[in-house]
Amino acid sequence: MLERPQGQKSGRLASAARIGIGGPVGSGKTALIERLIPELQARDVDFAVVTNDLVTREDAERLRRSGLIDPERVSAVEAGACPHTVIREDPTLNMAAGDDLEVRFPGLELVIFESGGDNLASTFSLDLVDWWMFVIDVAGGDDIPRKKGPGVLKCDLLIVNKVDLAPHVGVDLPGMLEEAQRARGERPVVAINARSGEGVDTVADMICRAVLFRP
Amino acid sequence: MIERLLAIWQADTAFPSGGFAFSNGLEGLAALSGPMGEGELEGVAAAALRHRWASADRVALVRAYGAEDDLDAVEAVDREVEATTLAEPFRTGSRRNGAGLVAAHARIGTPGAEDLLARIRQGRALGHLPVVQGVVWRGAGLDLPGAVLASGYVALTGFATAAVRLGLVGAVTAQAMLRRLLPVLAALADTPVPARIGSFSPRLDIAALRHARGEVRLFSN
Repeated sequence: MLERPQGQKSGRLASAARIGIGGPVGSGKTALIERLIPELQARDVDFAVVTNDLVTREDAERLRRSGLIDPERVSAVEAGACPHTVIREDPTLNMAAGDDLEVRFPGLELVIFESGGDNLASTFSLDLVDWWMFVIDVAGGDDIPRKKGPGVLKCDLLIVNKVDLAPHVGVDLPGMLEEAQRARGERPVVAINARSGEGVDTVADMICRAVLFRP
Repeated sequence: MIERLLAIWQADTAFPSGGFAFSNGLEGLAALSGPMGEGELEGVAAAALRHRWASADRVALVRAYGAEDDLDAVEAVDREVEATTLAEPFRTGSRRNGAGLVAAHARIGTPGAEDLLARIRQGRALGHLPVVQGVVWRGAGLDLPGAVLASGYVALTGFATAAVRLGLVGAVTAQAMLRRLLPVLAALADTPVPARIGSFSPRLDIAALRHARGEVRLFSN
């Protein structure tokens, strides 16, 4: 939970809260955003999205064409073959994209940065975001939490997606969630199914509480 | 001594400015020309230094640096860069890279950075990379020779690191190429600064224009 009030962030010119969504390729980051959009709209959150595609503008175009959000509220930043770099070592292009969205949409409360698909070592710079989540999926294997990658350990919220697939890929879901929670201590883990929307309302509530200071 | 350290600080690729996301035509050229050997790559980088960096970027940087606190004069340089950059991907890339650099310096608190950022946000300044470099590096305390060398070094290493990520050359080979080109950069930095901004890099321009229409790409330009 943040202690700094919005607009008084040290060394930051931004006033909207900024959050990140990272995770391996195919774990369901874009699908989660598609499900989060109506949840955030239902909570009257004024938000925009910045995507970091690796080699295309696929994710940005998918969101723009979804009909869920004004396409002008979706910006794309190319990752220059370095999905780590653009969110961690050198997040300035993403910062500038967030700044630009704030200029174009006065009153913006939240900017969501979607990382390009990466690996378990991916983490967000706190220069870029106030809070970030990491998405893994059941089909990626129940040993992912055991591998204790920095993404899994350091994120503010770990999301385990595609829970419906557990019986089909031989994964013991309760065991996987238990192991994830053990690896993360007190930090939260949420199980979702981005395809059906199961659990996404919990994620939206957690975002609102963590960075928008809403009950 | 501090001026030298400040130039090293800003030339270091670890300084966040967004530069890693731009190949400045190299990705398009590799797609256009097929496999590119070390020699050809070196020729491309040397030509870009001579016909783009020395005659255009360096001139804009020197003039923006010399404008001191006169942001109206800085805006005029910005507009000249825009008008003299033929290929749209280079114009966009230069503005985006400049936005990344000024975003970092504004957050650091470099004198002049926040005022320039405000002008960019108002749409008055365009924020091209060499113009931003001139303003914020002066504010950060670099002397002019150091700023010129840092700018050239950033341009040169940008080609080298992009070439490695594109798989054109290995990381060590790229450094050997870089070493051979340092005297070229040093000599160009010592030449008189032209009165007007001008560049001529038709192969890279065409490659960048084709690249901008491609579906699959690693770099922004």
